[in-house]
Amino acid sequence: MDDKTQIKPVNDSPSLHEVQTLDDSSDEGEEINESFVCCICLELLHKPIVLACGHISCFWCVHHAMDFGRESHCPICRREYNHFPSICELLHFLLLKMYPETYRRREKQLLEVEKTWGVFSPQLDLSSSCVNSDPKAPSPPTNFISCHETNSSVKTSPTPIENSKKIVELSHGGSANSPVKSAENSVITKNADIEENTCLNYKACKPVSINDALCITCKQMLFQPVILNCGHAYCESCLEVPENEALSCQLCQFPHPNGFPKVCLVLDNFLEREFPQEYARRRDDVQHKPVCSQQGTASSACTASSKKDGPLSSKISQYYSEWMSGAGPDIHFGAGCDYCGMCPIVGERYQCKDCVESIGFDLCGSCYNTGSKRPGRFNQQHTEGHSFRQKKALRLSDVTVRLLPVISDDDLDSSDILDEAPEDDSAALGLLDESPDDPEIF
Amino acid sequence: MVDCARIQKELVDCNKDKGISGISVTLDGDEFTHLTGTITGPVGTPYEGGIFQIDIQMPGEYPFEPPKMRFLTKVWHPNISSQNGAICLDILKDQWSPALTLKTALLSLQALLSAPEPGDPQDAVVAQQYLRDYPTFAGTARYWTETFAKRSSMGIEEKVQKLVEMGFPDVLVRKTLEIVGGDENMALEKLCTG
Repeated sequence: MDDKTQIKPVNDSPSLHEVQTLDDSSDEGEEINESFVCCICLELLHKPIVLACGHISCFWCVHHAMDFGRESHCPICRREYNHFPSICELLHFLLLKMYPETYRRREKQLLEVEKTWGVFSPQLDLSSSCVNSDPKAPSPPTNFISCHETNSSVKTSPTPIENSKKIVELSHGGSANSPVKSAENSVITKNADIEENTCLNYKACKPVSINDALCITCKQMLFQPVILNCGHAYCESCLEVPENEALSCQLCQFPHPNGFPKVCLVLDNFLEREFPQEYARRRDDVQHKPVCSQQGTASSACTASSKKDGPLSSKISQYYSEWMSGAGPDIHFGAGCDYCGMCPIVGERYQCKDCVESIGFDLCGSCYNTGSKRPGRFNQQHTEGHSFRQKKALRLSDVTVRLLPVISDDDLDSSDILDEAPEDDSAALGLLDESPDDPEIF
Repeated sequence: MVDCARIQKELVDCNKDKGISGISVTLDGDEFTHLTGTITGPVGTPYEGGIFQIDIQMPGEYPFEPPKMRFLTKVWHPNISSQNGAICLDILKDQWSPALTLKTALLSLQALLSAPEPGDPQDAVVAQQYLRDYPTFAGTARYWTETFAKRSSMGIEEKVQKLVEMGFPDVLVRKTLEIVGGDENMALEKLCTG
């Protein structure tokens, strides 16, 4: 499957609608554009993630398709990546606005599944922004609103309370009270309430407007949009890469490690279809820009990002071979960084001692040193007060010891004594954790 | 647990244009774990006119794991075992991607029939024959298609019987039929001349 087949308008193929209505008796008769159907679950995209190659899948579909020991590959174009990107909020709210009924049904269905897993996807609304108190690192939900509400969003990031007002205003439905759901688990209750809240707020929205798809830099409608690892959307021509520095988001200052992103064609074609006049105007604008700045940005970005990807963010396979020979940095198979999404974590790994969620909360060395102000990738209720411990990775010697048919009791005892941390292997990002129990031999 | 919703969608999608693609999938029983696929032999190949059945086992992790496919119909092809129908195709192994579907996988099998890869064989005997003596390979492949993959045309046994009745020995008739790829008239000509 390639982009061409993905971006066909639904009019050409009524089949998809038939499929939608066939097995979903509860379906709402919303005609889902084929380009917004996830290539993995074949349903409407839910909490969409845009990979650096510009291809989109649902949050859980990307997560399940990832490789937790090696590089992961895009399901469509097989481009390598090793950072789990954040959800693209712009697309999330766009889809919620376009297909409120279907999106809400998907949300409910997935919440049920998530309850059985005991792991939750991030909640994208005003509530999650309350966790974030640092004005220098605004959380994604505020960004979405602030990108067209304020001029310089980094400096004048509105407080959560202001945000919530704005969202209510935007949604024209301030009166909607969230129905209180009773559930045994408080986390579940919270998640459920958040979900109800979001859906009700956005149900009364107006049709999609240009304001739903604005570039963070130019504050105009996105033209040839690219989405960074943090989930923020820019026009390709607006993305500036400082010389000798890695590509990072201008809004959240978050580095983008997966190489220079490619245009998200699904979103680009959608905007062209939906707003042809504005799109043509933007195209003229961009084409009349000085050529050097546009081309220079993109090409220098490529070289800069490839140079600056950093030793730890690229080529896990290279480290893998070093690991096989017992040298090289640690590779934490099955564990991912909850801040930058690096998966598996290469180098130092810090695990939160206080997060109670079964999936745990882990950071890579550089994110630990920068200090994470975000909630976890899986809606963990991590706060600044929590403390970390450094986790040792499994070394090859540990594996070979375990594979030996006879292990003397002495060996086992000594390893037990040395084992400071409790057995933990539901590592972050690691639903598919396949590594054996970490014996933590020092 | 198998993702029933996705498989159901795939079944509908696959069967709606089977007239054009020549590809269809049916459920074996009520479970979504076992299916049977059908592909038509590509035109212009020794497999033309044949209808090939493929046994499909769905792993619990589908679509994150590839479906297990195996030819039920006997096929003479370098990348398909002539013994048990096992298939050597990268996308059914390490090159699988969750964005692929049953339909795209079956389409790939159809493409494999028209473009064998003798350099990476599943059946070494067939691959050797393909490389060293292509005409014999094509004849055998045609014969197998005639024999095993055709429902409507006259069965091979009937042809054998017909030729034996003309006075040719049974063993020779079968051998000749295999050489000419199952064509009754060509076999007769060959038997008469040689």
